[in-house]
Amino acid sequence: MTPGSTPAACAALLRRDLTLAWRRRGDIAMPVLYAVIVTTLFPFAIGPEPALLARIAGGVVFVIVLLAILLSLDHLFRGDIDDGSMELLMLAPQPLALLVGMKILAHWITSSLPLIVVAPVLASMLKLPPEAMPVLVIALLLSTPLLCLLGAVLVALTAGSKRSGMLLALMLLPLCVPVVIFAAGALAAAQEGLSWVAPIAWLGAGLAMALVLAPLACAAALRIAMDT
Amino acid sequence: MANWVPLWLHRLGSPPVFYRFAGAVRPWAFGLALLLGAVALYGGLVVAPADYQQGDAYRIIFIHVPSAWMSLFIYGAMAVAAFVGLVWRIKIAEVVAMESAPIGAAFTLITLVTGSLWGKPMWGTWWTWDARLTSELVLLFIYLGIIGLYHSFEDRRQGARAAAFLVLVGAVNVPIVHFSVNWWNTLHQGSTIRLLGPSHIEASMLWPLLTMMAATKCYYVASLFARVRADLIASEGGKAWVRDIALGQPGNDAA
Repeated sequence: MTPGSTPAACAALLRRDLTLAWRRRGDIAMPVLYAVIVTTLFPFAIGPEPALLARIAGGVVFVIVLLAILLSLDHLFRGDIDDGSMELLMLAPQPLALLVGMKILAHWITSSLPLIVVAPVLASMLKLPPEAMPVLVIALLLSTPLLCLLGAVLVALTAGSKRSGMLLALMLLPLCVPVVIFAAGALAAAQEGLSWVAPIAWLGAGLAMALVLAPLACAAALRIAMDT
Repeated sequence: MANWVPLWLHRLGSPPVFYRFAGAVRPWAFGLALLLGAVALYGGLVVAPADYQQGDAYRIIFIHVPSAWMSLFIYGAMAVAAFVGLVWRIKIAEVVAMESAPIGAAFTLITLVTGSLWGKPMWGTWWTWDARLTSELVLLFIYLGIIGLYHSFEDRRQGARAAAFLVLVGAVNVPIVHFSVNWWNTLHQGSTIRLLGPSHIEASMLWPLLTMMAATKCYYVASLFARVRADLIASEGGKAWVRDIALGQPGNDAA
Protein backbone atom coordinates (compact mmCIF):
# COMPACT_ATOMS: atom_id res chain seq x y z
CA MET A 1 0.00 0.00 0.00
CA THR A 2 1.40 3.40 -0.95
CA PRO A 3 1.43 5.79 2.00
CA GLY A 4 -1.34 8.38 1.75
CA SER A 5 -3.58 6.19 -0.40
CA THR A 6 -7.11 5.50 0.78
CA PRO A 7 -6.49 1.85 1.83
CA ALA A 8 -3.38 2.91 3.76
CA ALA A 9 -5.30 5.67 5.53
CA CYS A 10 -8.11 3.27 6.43
CA ALA A 11 -5.66 0.67 7.76
CA ALA A 12 -3.79 3.31 9.75
CA LEU A 13 -6.99 4.65 11.28
CA LEU A 14 -8.17 1.14 12.18
CA ARG A 15 -4.78 0.35 13.76
CA ARG A 16 -4.82 3.64 15.69
CA ASP A 17 -8.32 3.08 17.09
CA LEU A 18 -7.57 -0.51 18.07
CA THR A 19 -4.30 0.56 19.73
CA LEU A 20 -6.07 3.33 21.64
CA ALA A 21 -8.71 0.86 22.80
CA TRP A 22 -6.04 -1.68 23.82
CA ARG A 23 -4.18 0.93 25.88
CA ARG A 24 -7.35 1.35 27.93
CA ARG A 25 -8.33 -2.30 28.26
CA GLY A 26 -10.55 -1.56 31.27
CA ASP A 27 -13.00 0.29 29.06
CA ILE A 28 -13.41 -2.77 26.84
CA ALA A 29 -14.45 -4.81 29.86
CA MET A 30 -17.12 -2.30 30.93
CA PRO A 31 -19.94 -3.30 28.53
CA VAL A 32 -19.27 -6.96 29.31
CA LEU A 33 -19.43 -6.36 33.06
CA TYR A 34 -22.59 -4.34 32.60
CA ALA A 35 -24.20 -7.18 30.61
CA VAL A 36 -23.18 -9.80 33.21
CA ILE A 37 -24.53 -7.74 36.12
CA VAL A 38 -27.85 -6.95 34.42
CA THR A 39 -28.25 -10.63 33.52
CA THR A 40 -27.77 -11.67 37.15
CA LEU A 41 -30.45 -9.18 38.19
CA PHE A 42 -33.13 -10.91 36.13
CA PRO A 43 -33.38 -14.14 38.16
CA PHE A 44 -33.49 -12.03 41.32
CA ALA A 45 -36.31 -9.91 39.94
CA ILE A 46 -38.57 -12.56 38.38
CA GLY A 47 -37.60 -15.74 40.25
CA PRO A 48 -35.25 -18.60 39.42
CA GLU A 49 -37.68 -21.09 37.77
CA PRO A 50 -35.79 -22.60 34.79
CA ALA A 51 -38.88 -22.83 32.56
CA LEU A 52 -39.68 -19.12 32.92
CA LEU A 53 -36.02 -18.13 32.45
CA ALA A 54 -35.66 -20.30 29.34
CA ARG A 55 -38.78 -18.68 27.88
CA ILE A 56 -37.39 -15.12 28.22
CA ALA A 57 -33.64 -15.84 27.86
CA GLY A 58 -33.33 -14.93 24.17
CA GLY A 59 -35.17 -11.65 24.39
CA VAL A 60 -33.41 -10.63 27.59
CA VAL A 61 -29.95 -11.29 26.14
CA PHE A 62 -30.74 -9.23 23.02
CA VAL A 63 -32.10 -6.30 25.01
CA ILE A 64 -29.09 -6.38 27.35
CA VAL A 65 -26.66 -6.44 24.42
CA LEU A 66 -28.56 -3.55 22.83
CA LEU A 67 -28.34 -1.49 26.02
CA ALA A 68 -24.64 -2.30 26.48
CA ILE A 69 -23.95 -1.13 22.92
CA LEU A 70 -26.01 1.99 23.55
CA LEU A 71 -23.90 2.84 26.61
CA SER A 72 -20.62 2.29 24.77
CA LEU A 73 -21.73 4.34 21.72
CA ASP A 74 -21.57 7.61 23.59
CA HIS A 75 -17.78 7.83 23.37
CA LEU A 76 -17.53 6.64 19.76
CA PHE A 77 -16.62 10.11 18.45
CA ARG A 78 -16.31 11.96 21.78
CA GLY A 79 -12.52 11.62 22.19
CA ASP A 80 -11.80 12.56 18.58
CA ILE A 81 -14.03 15.63 18.77
CA ASP A 82 -12.50 16.76 22.08
CA ASP A 83 -8.87 16.54 20.92
CA GLY A 84 -9.55 17.87 17.42
CA SER A 85 -8.72 14.72 15.42
CA MET A 86 -12.23 14.75 13.99
CA GLU A 87 -11.58 18.06 12.21
CA LEU A 88 -8.44 16.55 10.70
CA LEU A 89 -10.37 13.48 9.52
CA MET A 90 -12.91 15.79 7.90
CA LEU A 91 -10.20 17.76 6.15
CA ALA A 92 -8.41 14.59 4.97
CA PRO A 93 -8.40 13.95 1.22
CA GLN A 94 -9.78 10.44 1.74
CA PRO A 95 -13.61 10.08 1.74
CA LEU A 96 -14.94 10.76 5.22
CA ALA A 97 -17.53 7.97 4.89
CA LEU A 98 -14.78 5.33 4.57
CA LEU A 99 -12.80 6.72 7.50
CA VAL A 100 -15.91 6.86 9.66
CA GLY A 101 -16.70 3.31 8.55
CA MET A 102 -13.26 2.25 9.85
CA LYS A 103 -13.98 3.92 13.19
CA ILE A 104 -17.29 2.06 13.40
CA LEU A 105 -15.53 -1.20 12.57
CA ALA A 106 -12.97 -0.59 15.31
CA HIS A 107 -15.76 0.23 17.72
CA TRP A 108 -17.63 -2.94 16.79
CA ILE A 109 -14.49 -5.03 17.38
CA THR A 110 -13.80 -3.49 20.77
CA SER A 111 -17.34 -3.19 22.14
CA SER A 112 -19.47 -5.86 20.44
CA LEU A 113 -17.12 -8.80 19.88
CA PRO A 114 -16.55 -9.26 23.65
CA LEU A 115 -20.32 -9.14 24.12
CA ILE A 116 -20.82 -11.81 21.46
CA VAL A 117 -18.20 -13.98 23.17
CA VAL A 118 -19.87 -13.62 26.54
CA ALA A 119 -23.49 -13.84 25.28
CA PRO A 120 -23.68 -17.68 25.18
CA VAL A 121 -22.52 -17.73 28.82
CA LEU A 122 -25.21 -15.22 29.76
CA ALA A 123 -27.81 -17.19 27.81
CA SER A 124 -26.88 -20.43 29.54
CA MET A 125 -27.08 -18.65 32.90
CA LEU A 126 -30.68 -17.93 31.89
CA LYS A 127 -31.16 -21.64 30.87
CA LEU A 128 -31.39 -21.11 27.13
CA PRO A 129 -31.46 -24.61 25.58
CA PRO A 130 -28.05 -25.51 24.02
CA GLU A 131 -29.53 -26.23 20.57
CA ALA A 132 -30.52 -22.55 20.26
CA MET A 133 -26.96 -21.33 20.99
CA PRO A 134 -25.68 -21.32 17.37
CA VAL A 135 -28.69 -19.26 16.32
CA LEU A 136 -28.00 -16.81 19.15
CA VAL A 137 -24.42 -16.33 17.98
CA ILE A 138 -25.41 -15.96 14.31
CA ALA A 139 -28.14 -13.46 15.18
CA LEU A 140 -25.71 -11.47 17.34
CA LEU A 141 -23.03 -11.52 14.62
CA LEU A 142 -25.54 -9.96 12.21
CA SER A 143 -27.42 -7.64 14.57
CA THR A 144 -24.57 -6.05 16.56
CA PRO A 145 -22.88 -4.44 13.49
CA LEU A 146 -26.32 -3.27 12.42
CA LEU A 147 -26.86 -1.61 15.80
CA CYS A 148 -23.37 -0.07 15.77
CA LEU A 149 -23.93 1.38 12.28
CA LEU A 150 -27.36 2.74 13.12
CA GLY A 151 -26.14 4.08 16.45
CA ALA A 152 -23.11 5.75 14.87
CA VAL A 153 -25.37 7.87 12.63
CA LEU A 154 -27.32 9.11 15.64
CA VAL A 155 -24.22 9.64 17.79
CA ALA A 156 -22.80 11.75 14.95
CA LEU A 157 -25.96 13.88 15.02
CA THR A 158 -25.65 14.56 18.75
CA ALA A 159 -21.91 15.24 18.45
CA GLY A 160 -22.42 19.01 18.38
CA SER A 161 -24.80 19.17 21.34
CA LYS A 162 -23.87 19.33 24.99
CA ARG A 163 -26.40 16.87 26.44
CA SER A 164 -26.51 13.57 24.64
CA GLY A 165 -26.80 10.55 26.99
CA MET A 166 -30.56 10.06 27.44
CA LEU A 167 -31.29 11.80 24.15
CA LEU A 168 -29.34 9.13 22.31
CA ALA A 169 -31.48 6.43 23.93
CA LEU A 170 -34.66 8.28 22.95
CA MET A 171 -33.46 8.55 19.35
CA LEU A 172 -31.87 5.15 18.89
CA LEU A 173 -34.19 2.70 20.64
CA PRO A 174 -37.30 3.28 18.46
CA LEU A 175 -35.18 2.74 15.35
CA CYS A 176 -33.84 -0.54 16.78
CA VAL A 177 -37.28 -2.17 17.00
CA PRO A 178 -36.92 -4.15 13.74
CA VAL A 179 -33.49 -5.49 14.78
CA VAL A 180 -34.83 -6.70 18.13
CA ILE A 181 -37.90 -8.24 16.49
CA PHE A 182 -35.94 -10.23 13.90
CA ALA A 183 -33.07 -11.27 16.18
CA ALA A 184 -35.34 -12.41 19.02
CA GLY A 185 -37.75 -13.88 16.47
CA ALA A 186 -35.03 -16.11 15.02
CA LEU A 187 -34.11 -17.31 18.50
CA ALA A 188 -37.74 -17.96 19.47
CA ALA A 189 -38.23 -19.96 16.26
CA ALA A 190 -35.09 -22.00 16.98
CA GLN A 191 -36.29 -22.72 20.53
CA GLU A 192 -39.60 -24.03 19.20
CA GLY A 193 -37.84 -26.13 16.59
CA LEU A 194 -39.12 -24.05 13.67
CA SER A 195 -37.13 -22.73 10.73
CA TRP A 196 -35.17 -19.62 11.74
CA VAL A 197 -33.70 -18.79 8.33
CA ALA A 198 -36.23 -16.09 7.35
CA PRO A 199 -35.59 -13.64 10.23
CA ILE A 200 -31.84 -14.21 9.93
CA ALA A 201 -32.06 -13.42 6.22
CA TRP A 202 -33.94 -10.22 7.07
CA LEU A 203 -31.17 -9.26 9.50
CA GLY A 204 -28.59 -9.94 6.78
CA ALA A 205 -30.54 -7.79 4.32
CA GLY A 206 -30.70 -4.99 6.87
CA LEU A 207 -26.99 -5.28 7.54
CA ALA A 208 -26.19 -5.15 3.82
CA MET A 209 -28.26 -1.98 3.46
CA ALA A 210 -26.77 -0.39 6.59
CA LEU A 211 -23.21 -1.21 5.50
CA VAL A 212 -23.73 0.83 2.35
CA LEU A 213 -25.89 3.66 3.65
CA ALA A 214 -24.89 4.17 7.29
CA PRO A 215 -21.26 5.35 6.78
CA LEU A 216 -22.46 7.87 4.18
CA ALA A 217 -25.24 9.06 6.47
CA CYS A 218 -22.82 9.15 9.39
CA ALA A 219 -20.36 11.33 7.47
CA ALA A 220 -23.16 13.69 6.41
CA ALA A 221 -24.44 13.86 9.99
CA LEU A 222 -20.95 14.64 11.32
CA ARG A 223 -20.60 17.49 8.84
CA ILE A 224 -23.95 18.89 9.99
CA ALA A 225 -23.22 18.48 13.68
CA MET A 226 -19.69 19.90 13.48
CA ASP A 227 -21.02 22.69 11.24
CA THR A 228 -18.21 22.78 8.71
CA MET B 1 -47.33 33.55 -17.84
CA ALA B 2 -46.54 30.45 -15.76
CA ASN B 3 -43.41 32.14 -14.52
CA TRP B 4 -45.08 33.68 -11.46
CA VAL B 5 -45.41 30.30 -9.66
CA PRO B 6 -41.68 29.60 -9.20
CA LEU B 7 -41.11 33.31 -8.61
CA TRP B 8 -43.76 33.39 -5.88
CA LEU B 9 -42.37 30.19 -4.29
CA HIS B 10 -38.92 31.72 -4.39
CA ARG B 11 -40.10 34.89 -2.67
CA LEU B 12 -41.92 32.76 -0.07
CA GLY B 13 -38.53 31.51 1.09
CA SER B 14 -37.83 34.90 2.60
CA PRO B 15 -38.86 35.09 6.28
CA PRO B 16 -40.73 38.45 6.17
CA VAL B 17 -42.73 37.40 3.09
CA PHE B 18 -43.57 34.05 4.64
CA TYR B 19 -44.49 35.77 7.90
CA ARG B 20 -47.05 37.99 6.16
CA PHE B 21 -48.33 35.12 3.97
CA ALA B 22 -48.77 32.86 7.00
CA GLY B 23 -50.50 35.65 8.88
CA ALA B 24 -52.96 36.13 6.01
CA VAL B 25 -53.70 32.39 5.54
CA ARG B 26 -53.89 31.36 9.19
CA PRO B 27 -57.31 32.85 10.18
CA TRP B 28 -58.93 31.35 7.07
CA ALA B 29 -57.43 27.93 7.67
CA PHE B 30 -58.42 28.05 11.32
CA GLY B 31 -61.97 29.16 10.52
CA LEU B 32 -62.32 26.46 7.89
CA ALA B 33 -60.98 23.86 10.36
CA LEU B 34 -63.58 24.90 12.97
CA LEU B 35 -66.41 24.91 10.42
CA LEU B 36 -65.51 21.55 8.83
CA GLY B 37 -64.83 20.03 12.26
CA ALA B 38 -68.26 21.12 13.53
CA VAL B 39 -70.00 19.76 10.40
CA ALA B 40 -68.06 16.48 10.65
CA LEU B 41 -68.84 16.08 14.35
CA TYR B 42 -72.54 16.73 13.68
CA GLY B 43 -72.52 14.25 10.82
CA GLY B 44 -70.58 11.67 12.81
CA LEU B 45 -72.27 11.97 16.20
CA VAL B 46 -75.87 12.76 15.18
CA VAL B 47 -76.60 11.93 11.54
CA ALA B 48 -74.64 8.70 11.04
CA PRO B 49 -76.47 5.57 12.25
CA ALA B 50 -75.15 3.43 15.09
CA ASP B 51 -73.08 0.41 14.10
CA TYR B 52 -75.01 -2.88 14.19
CA GLN B 53 -72.23 -4.56 16.14
CA GLN B 54 -70.40 -1.87 18.10
CA GLY B 55 -73.37 0.42 18.85
CA ASP B 56 -72.38 4.03 19.48
CA ALA B 57 -68.84 3.21 20.59
CA TYR B 58 -67.60 3.15 17.00
CA ARG B 59 -68.18 6.91 16.75
CA ILE B 60 -64.72 7.51 18.13
CA ILE B 61 -63.36 6.69 14.67
CA PHE B 62 -64.37 10.19 13.58
CA ILE B 63 -61.53 11.44 15.80
CA HIS B 64 -59.28 8.39 15.82
CA VAL B 65 -58.91 7.67 12.11
CA PRO B 66 -58.32 11.28 10.94
CA SER B 67 -55.73 11.69 13.70
CA ALA B 68 -53.97 8.50 12.64
CA TRP B 69 -53.91 9.72 9.03
CA MET B 70 -52.54 13.06 10.17
CA SER B 71 -49.82 11.44 12.28
CA LEU B 72 -48.42 9.87 9.10
CA PHE B 73 -49.28 12.77 6.79
CA ILE B 74 -47.42 15.25 9.01
CA TYR B 75 -44.39 12.95 9.09
CA GLY B 76 -44.44 12.94 5.28
CA ALA B 77 -44.80 16.73 5.11
CA MET B 78 -42.02 17.09 7.68
CA ALA B 79 -39.74 14.76 5.73
CA VAL B 80 -40.29 16.74 2.49
CA ALA B 81 -39.61 20.02 4.30
CA ALA B 82 -36.52 18.55 5.99
CA PHE B 83 -35.19 17.31 2.66
CA VAL B 84 -35.74 20.69 1.02
CA GLY B 85 -34.16 22.43 3.99
CA LEU B 86 -31.09 20.20 3.99
CA VAL B 87 -30.49 20.18 0.24
CA TRP B 88 -31.18 23.83 -0.62
CA ARG B 89 -30.52 25.21 2.89
CA ILE B 90 -33.81 27.10 2.89
CA LYS B 91 -34.39 28.42 6.36
CA ILE B 92 -38.19 28.45 6.10
CA ALA B 93 -38.22 24.75 5.17
CA GLU B 94 -36.16 23.91 8.27
CA VAL B 95 -38.52 25.92 10.48
CA VAL B 96 -41.56 24.28 8.88
CA ALA B 97 -40.08 20.80 9.47
CA MET B 98 -39.23 21.52 13.09
CA GLU B 99 -42.54 23.18 13.92
CA SER B 100 -44.44 20.27 12.32
CA ALA B 101 -42.96 17.78 14.79
CA PRO B 102 -44.90 18.86 17.93
CA ILE B 103 -48.18 18.94 15.94
CA GLY B 104 -47.49 15.47 14.56
CA ALA B 105 -46.62 14.21 18.04
CA ALA B 106 -49.90 15.66 19.35
CA PHE B 107 -51.93 13.88 16.64
CA THR B 108 -50.07 10.64 17.35
CA LEU B 109 -50.88 10.98 21.05
CA ILE B 110 -54.56 11.67 20.25
CA THR B 111 -54.60 8.54 18.08
CA LEU B 112 -53.15 6.42 20.89
CA VAL B 113 -55.46 7.84 23.57
CA THR B 114 -58.67 7.57 21.52
CA GLY B 115 -57.61 4.09 20.37
CA SER B 116 -57.19 2.86 23.92
CA LEU B 117 -60.49 4.51 24.98
CA TRP B 118 -62.16 2.53 22.20
CA GLY B 119 -60.16 -0.60 22.96
CA LYS B 120 -61.41 -0.87 26.55
CA PRO B 121 -65.09 -1.61 25.69
CA MET B 122 -64.34 -3.37 22.37
CA TRP B 123 -61.28 -5.52 23.00
CA GLY B 124 -61.64 -5.45 26.80
CA THR B 125 -58.20 -3.91 27.33
CA TRP B 126 -56.66 -0.45 27.29
CA TRP B 127 -53.53 -1.59 25.58
CA THR B 128 -52.50 -4.64 23.65
CA TRP B 129 -49.24 -5.47 21.92
CA ASP B 130 -50.74 -5.29 18.50
CA ALA B 131 -48.80 -4.27 15.40
CA ARG B 132 -50.59 -1.04 14.56
CA LEU B 133 -50.67 0.17 18.15
CA THR B 134 -47.00 -0.61 18.59
CA SER B 135 -45.88 1.09 15.40
CA GLU B 136 -47.93 4.16 16.30
CA LEU B 137 -46.20 4.21 19.70
CA VAL B 138 -42.79 3.90 18.01
CA LEU B 139 -43.79 6.80 15.74
CA LEU B 140 -44.53 8.87 18.84
CA PHE B 141 -41.07 8.07 20.23
CA ILE B 142 -39.47 9.09 16.93
CA TYR B 143 -41.34 12.40 17.01
CA LEU B 144 -40.16 12.97 20.59
CA GLY B 145 -36.57 12.14 19.62
CA ILE B 146 -36.72 14.72 16.81
CA ILE B 147 -38.12 17.39 19.15
CA GLY B 148 -35.50 16.51 21.78
CA LEU B 149 -32.61 16.68 19.32
CA TYR B 150 -33.82 20.05 17.98
CA HIS B 151 -33.87 21.55 21.46
CA SER B 152 -30.56 20.05 22.61
CA PHE B 153 -28.46 22.41 20.47
CA GLU B 154 -27.46 25.89 21.60
CA ASP B 155 -27.66 27.10 18.02
CA ARG B 156 -31.21 26.86 16.66
CA ARG B 157 -30.17 26.59 13.03
CA GLN B 158 -27.67 23.80 13.71
CA GLY B 159 -30.24 21.97 15.83
CA ALA B 160 -32.79 22.28 13.05
CA ARG B 161 -30.38 20.82 10.50
CA ALA B 162 -29.37 17.91 12.76
CA ALA B 163 -33.00 17.16 13.59
CA ALA B 164 -33.96 17.44 9.90
CA PHE B 165 -31.36 14.78 9.17
CA LEU B 166 -32.89 12.59 11.88
CA VAL B 167 -36.29 13.11 10.20
CA LEU B 168 -34.83 11.65 6.99
CA VAL B 169 -33.20 8.72 8.84
CA GLY B 170 -36.58 8.08 10.43
CA ALA B 171 -38.31 8.31 7.05
CA VAL B 172 -36.15 5.42 5.81
CA ASN B 173 -36.77 3.50 9.01
CA VAL B 174 -40.48 4.07 9.68
CA PRO B 175 -41.67 1.75 6.88
CA ILE B 176 -39.21 -0.93 8.06
CA VAL B 177 -40.49 -0.59 11.62
CA HIS B 178 -44.06 -0.76 10.35
CA PHE B 179 -43.56 -3.93 8.30
CA SER B 180 -41.43 -5.71 10.89
CA VAL B 181 -43.99 -5.01 13.58
CA ASN B 182 -46.75 -6.23 11.27
CA TRP B 183 -44.83 -9.42 10.71
CA TRP B 184 -44.41 -9.76 14.47
CA ASN B 185 -48.01 -9.64 15.62
CA THR B 186 -51.32 -8.32 14.42
CA LEU B 187 -54.81 -7.98 15.85
CA HIS B 188 -55.95 -4.58 14.60
CA GLN B 189 -58.45 -4.61 11.74
CA GLY B 190 -57.15 -3.87 8.27
CA SER B 191 -57.86 -0.66 6.38
CA THR B 192 -61.52 -0.14 5.62
CA ILE B 193 -61.14 2.88 3.39
CA ARG B 194 -59.22 2.55 0.17
CA LEU B 195 -58.18 4.99 -2.47
CA LEU B 196 -58.45 2.29 -5.14
CA GLY B 197 -61.43 0.02 -5.21
CA PRO B 198 -64.60 0.09 -3.11
CA SER B 199 -64.39 1.11 0.56
CA HIS B 200 -65.95 -1.20 3.13
CA ILE B 201 -67.82 1.56 4.87
CA GLU B 202 -71.36 2.94 4.68
CA ALA B 203 -71.60 6.29 2.84
CA SER B 204 -73.34 8.00 5.79
CA MET B 205 -70.30 7.14 7.93
CA LEU B 206 -67.77 7.92 5.22
CA TRP B 207 -68.59 11.57 4.55
CA PRO B 208 -68.15 12.78 8.16
CA LEU B 209 -64.84 10.91 8.23
CA LEU B 210 -63.59 12.60 5.08
CA THR B 211 -64.87 15.99 6.26
CA MET B 212 -63.01 15.52 9.53
CA MET B 213 -59.91 14.63 7.56
CA ALA B 214 -60.18 17.95 5.70
CA ALA B 215 -60.72 19.72 9.03
CA THR B 216 -57.58 18.21 10.58
CA LYS B 217 -55.58 19.22 7.49
CA CYS B 218 -56.82 22.81 7.82
CA TYR B 219 -56.06 22.76 11.53
CA TYR B 220 -52.54 21.54 10.77
CA VAL B 221 -51.99 24.44 8.37
CA ALA B 222 -53.36 26.97 10.86
CA SER B 223 -51.39 25.61 13.79
CA LEU B 224 -48.20 25.22 11.75
CA PHE B 225 -48.38 28.79 10.44
CA ALA B 226 -48.95 30.19 13.94
CA ARG B 227 -45.93 28.24 15.24
CA VAL B 228 -43.74 29.20 12.29
CA ARG B 229 -44.59 32.89 12.79
CA ALA B 230 -43.63 32.66 16.46
CA ASP B 231 -40.42 30.81 15.61
CA LEU B 232 -39.48 33.35 12.93
CA ILE B 233 -40.01 36.27 15.32
CA ALA B 234 -37.85 34.51 17.93
CA SER B 235 -34.99 33.52 15.62
CA GLU B 236 -34.94 36.70 13.49
CA GLY B 237 -35.23 38.94 16.54
CA GLY B 238 -32.35 41.21 15.50
CA LYS B 239 -33.55 41.85 11.96
CA ALA B 240 -35.06 45.09 10.70
CA TRP B 241 -38.38 43.61 9.58
CA VAL B 242 -39.06 42.25 13.08
CA ARG B 243 -38.26 45.67 14.55
CA ASP B 244 -40.70 47.26 12.13
CA ILE B 245 -43.43 44.89 13.28
CA ALA B 246 -42.59 45.42 16.94
CA LEU B 247 -42.67 49.22 16.51
CA GLY B 248 -45.91 49.01 14.57
CA GLN B 249 -44.42 50.53 11.43
CA PRO B 250 -45.61 49.35 8.03
CA GLY B 251 -43.04 46.92 6.64
CA ASN B 252 -41.38 47.71 3.33
CA ASP B 253 -41.95 44.87 0.86
CA ALA B 254 -38.75 45.47 -1.05
CA ALA B 255 -36.54 44.59 1.94
